[in-house]
Amino acid sequence: MMWQRWWERVRQDPVTLAALVLIMLFFGVACGSWLGLIGGGWSDTSSLLRGGFSAEHWFGTNAIGQDIFQRAVFGTGVAFQVGVSVALGATLLGAVFGSLAGYFHQRAGDGLIGWLMGVIESIPFYLLVAALAFAMQGHNLAMYLAMTLAFWTTTARLVRAETIRLRQMPFVEAARTLGVGQSAILSRHILPNTSHLLLIQFTITFVGAVKAEVVLSFLGLGIQDGVSWGLMIAESTSDLLAGHFSNFLVASISLFLLVMALNLLADAMQDALDPRFSHPADPGPAEPSPAEPSHGT
Amino acid sequence: MNTSGLVRHGLLQAVALVLGVTFLGFLLMVYFAPDLSYQLAGKNPTAEQIQQIRQQLGYDQPLPVRYLQYLQELATFDFGYSDSSGERVTALLARTLPVSAALLLPGFILGHILAMGLGAVAAYGRGRWTDRLIAVVSGTGMSISFIVVMIAFQLVFASSYGLNWFPARGWQWATPAQYLSHVAVPTLTILFVSSGYNTRFYRAVFVEQIGQDYVKAARAFGYSRTRTFFRVILPNSLLPVLTRVLYSVPAILVGGSLLLESYFGIPGVGKSTFDAITSGDQPVLKAVIALSSLALAVVMLSVDRLYRVVDPRLRG
Amino acid sequence: MPQLVFLTVFFAALLALGGCSSEPEPGPEPQKTYRHSMDGTPTGLDPAHASNVYAGFLVVNLFDTLYRYRYLARPYEITENLAAGPPVVSADGLTYTITLKQGVRFQHDPAFDQGVGREVSAEDLVYSLKRHFDPEVRSRGSWLWRDRIQGMAEWQAQGSDYDQPVTGLRALDRYTVEVRLTRPFPQFVYTLTTAHSALVPREVVEARGREFGTAPVGSGPFRLISMDTTRAELERNPEYRREKIDLAAEGFDPLRHAGLGLESVDGREMPLVDRAVVDFVVDGASGWVSFTAGNEIQYVRLPPDLFDQALASRSPPRLKPDLEQQYHLHVTPEFGVTQIVFNLDDPGIGYQPDPEANLRNRDLRCALRKAFDWDQRNQVFYGGIAQIYPGVIPPAVPEFDPDADRSSVTHDPEGARQILQRLGSAENLPVLEYTYNSGVAQQRGFEQFRGQMSAVGYPDDKITRRVFATFPDVSRAASNRELQIWVYGWTMDYPDAENVLALFYGPNRAPGNNVTNYANPEYDRLFEQAAAMQPSPERTAIYRQLNQMLIDDCVSIAGVTRVRAYLTHRDVIGVPDRELVGGYFLRFVDVVETP
Repeated sequence: MMWQRWWERVRQDPVTLAALVLIMLFFGVACGSWLGLIGGGWSDTSSLLRGGFSAEHWFGTNAIGQDIFQRAVFGTGVAFQVGVSVALGATLLGAVFGSLAGYFHQRAGDGLIGWLMGVIESIPFYLLVAALAFAMQGHNLAMYLAMTLAFWTTTARLVRAETIRLRQMPFVEAARTLGVGQSAILSRHILPNTSHLLLIQFTITFVGAVKAEVVLSFLGLGIQDGVSWGLMIAESTSDLLAGHFSNFLVASISLFLLVMALNLLADAMQDALDPRFSHPADPGPAEPSPAEPSHGT
Repeated sequence: MNTSGLVRHGLLQAVALVLGVTFLGFLLMVYFAPDLSYQLAGKNPTAEQIQQIRQQLGYDQPLPVRYLQYLQELATFDFGYSDSSGERVTALLARTLPVSAALLLPGFILGHILAMGLGAVAAYGRGRWTDRLIAVVSGTGMSISFIVVMIAFQLVFASSYGLNWFPARGWQWATPAQYLSHVAVPTLTILFVSSGYNTRFYRAVFVEQIGQDYVKAARAFGYSRTRTFFRVILPNSLLPVLTRVLYSVPAILVGGSLLLESYFGIPGVGKSTFDAITSGDQPVLKAVIALSSLALAVVMLSVDRLYRVVDPRLRG
Repeated sequence: MPQLVFLTVFFAALLALGGCSSEPEPGPEPQKTYRHSMDGTPTGLDPAHASNVYAGFLVVNLFDTLYRYRYLARPYEITENLAAGPPVVSADGLTYTITLKQGVRFQHDPAFDQGVGREVSAEDLVYSLKRHFDPEVRSRGSWLWRDRIQGMAEWQAQGSDYDQPVTGLRALDRYTVEVRLTRPFPQFVYTLTTAHSALVPREVVEARGREFGTAPVGSGPFRLISMDTTRAELERNPEYRREKIDLAAEGFDPLRHAGLGLESVDGREMPLVDRAVVDFVVDGASGWVSFTAGNEIQYVRLPPDLFDQALASRSPPRLKPDLEQQYHLHVTPEFGVTQIVFNLDDPGIGYQPDPEANLRNRDLRCALRKAFDWDQRNQVFYGGIAQIYPGVIPPAVPEFDPDADRSSVTHDPEGARQILQRLGSAENLPVLEYTYNSGVAQQRGFEQFRGQMSAVGYPDDKITRRVFATFPDVSRAASNRELQIWVYGWTMDYPDAENVLALFYGPNRAPGNNVTNYANPEYDRLFEQAAAMQPSPERTAIYRQLNQMLIDDCVSIAGVTRVRAYLTHRDVIGVPDRELVGGYFLRFVDVVETP
């Protein structure tokens, strides 16, 4: 029912519809890259250094003659890979810990989880990721792990609040009097009712992860194997001075479009699924966006 | 729970937080940090030399011993000297913290004022073209990467490829003019990126307020819109706003702005900390972790206090 | 439309706040300032910790060393700095007697008697060298003299008490030092030009303790005003000994140095500028923006990425006319060698107990070397102007052999393919692991390496990578013999090929600087023989023989010397050098009104 309402709204709102189409388009490109259909030649070098637009190289080539279009395509795949895995991990962690904390509200479990979240949130994000990357000796998964670790708390806080509310709802009370076990109440009655929250948070975390990847790659802590939009931007600073903008523009516009579309989608979902959400009853200590704090940590 | 109980509870929480943050930070940034001894040993070391340095740096001690030692240092707030430069850690913090604060505060304050204004305009014109325009602008700001803005602004405002109004990099603040010219581009960058998030936040806060009965009542009593805004809405929004502002303080103070500082070559605490992480400079890291956890604890306690001062319902 | 008014006021206020700052105020600037830049940060200003070129640059300006290199002479020539003349060396090459200049004073500091800098004496050199063998100091330069000075090891073993004498390091009188070596070390005098050898005053070091590195006091031409992670500011040391520039003695060549205006500094007192500001700008693009801004740094490295934009021709390197009017171009080869090294302790590509397997691995390494394309490397990473030569002896040292056989640096994909085929099927080939530290250029280096290897039939999936977060992590892993293939750069400490050939000397194996763990008794024997010899055609012959052994055993893919292009603003009178002259350049630099 909730989803129907959402779909009705999306159909009537051309902006959201456009955003959705754009995301599907990017996703298609990402799938193509994963399946090896396109973007496979991202690391092939050619003798054409910093070439302009041409039929062979749609967006030109970079300083060592690699095709910028193919790199952007491969980067799209990486962006989705980073976004989906981090968002999935963080949302799962957030759902589990948040619902547990909410269900055991004002008991030891709640306190412990609250403490854990406080601890993680008080270490500045980029320092946390950098430290983890070094602790893991530059392992490929360091970045994914660090982002998941940093991002789950926002979701957990929201789920916790929602769980506290749901716990007092008649249908949960009823289940409890009927003797349904705690885990069953959590998994069958409470968690499903937070699904809209989880979906919205999934989208927001996705955005956060994609943006954070760019920053981390720029700092040399991001993607180690392959190419990403962040790496393209990092390698483009010298191109810019040489008057060659295509590497920079292609990567940053792709990034902008995907993030913008996802943001619009998240907004639309929020409006349709969770009107209460836009009320800042308790903005909490969390940053507005997990990835890019308003004042640049 | 009575008041003193609440205070004790808050203190307990703060202590638990400090212990947690210092332990996690210690584990990640100090215990698993890169081994500095190879670097300190020079170009052609012998195995004994490396062993000796490892011993001096305490790498051979077990984790609990090292953590306890750290807590002891924390209690006296004496972390010794940087392993890289030999500078006293407290002196290093005293040198870099003010720079980071001076770098970030203008953008932070202006960003909040700007966002408050935009948020108010949008909230009053809800659904109208001003609201939509502001939504588009803030949505755009939220979607552009900080790095892209930083690179673009440097090129546009501070290079011979663009307007060349401001210094391309570096940091000088002996005179107000020097300070303003060096802080300008970073401030613009912060403004551009933060306004999106902040505007949305303020709009939401104000929209909720406008719907409240006491606001409607004030208007019915003939208060002008401006007067209602400053006399009724703003004071009543204090709680969420203060929370947001206060919780940003530790991040600004201690985290500094790694990206801005490294890109523009500004000697702030963010850059120093990042360098310490990459090189494994334990004393510096220990101090930074300690400082950030203490700052957070202080904020937590004061927010707790503020809630009670600002919100009468919590008093008693 | 009240909203509109509101918005307008807001933006107006913002613009007023932000816009009033565009005019950089001159302020009470002291007279003459030179603004230098470096692409890295110093390791510390204590001479004992000055282990990178950036630290060395500053240290030799704050402190005095006994010897230095002539400003303009190339190849590099050594000359006196604090020493009054060349050392007197005994016939057996073991005893060095060095006399110091008289009347040289340390900069003032409260730690001195009455705060006045006292005279520098022979005891200061004795103290400064002893410090390297005090474990508390954590010297990074002790390797230069380790096991070389008589009695030093014993002194260290007895607890590094500075009041106890070292038999081989004595002050004969106030201005004369005698150094007795354990074995001939003709390069000893070169070690006295390094930043590590700079003279520090004992009372100040003891008063400052660990903080000496942040508030250094020496007798150099400049003193430190301030330093942080982004820049150092120096000012002229008013107490500096009144020495005049003798341009001819510094190696001035009217032809080679034409058009730089150097003649104007001849006969003037050093240093020429009142203030020197050194910015640490790691990012090449950022440095370029600052340099071209006009009123910021006056010296920058031209990033190879911008060669196409900036250079009219590469050989000889010349700027495009519009840039030529604003800047001087200085092109200098780096003083060192960069190679792609193999860890011979790795069973996959290195030594094997079974002689046949051992030979197979050597052939494999030779095949990789043949498959490697230096020209492509040069084009992509070094702007096409790097020097590529067989082995590890670079053109900048006198022992270089210009007529050597270049087949080891010639791209030979066919030859590589043949060897690989002879070695058997692809399944038998070992997995290669190329290590680098995280970074755009380093990753490109790997991708290029993999591309070249797979082009001769090495299976793509057998060329793997290992990425470390930072370069020191790579060095650490190399010290622990954990790596297989990686890029290894060595900056030479003195103009004698012994310095690079020592990288393959058996007793230096990792964690020492023999990171390939090359073990060849014949090589070691010849190396020891040559190390004791004074420069001579016979020694040069042995050096070249050693170099050939490295080539024959395919120990590394070697080598390249990067050639760097630097620019200075036209109002700077000077020839900057990042290599051996390094920081010694600063006392000769002058800044004039734009001509």
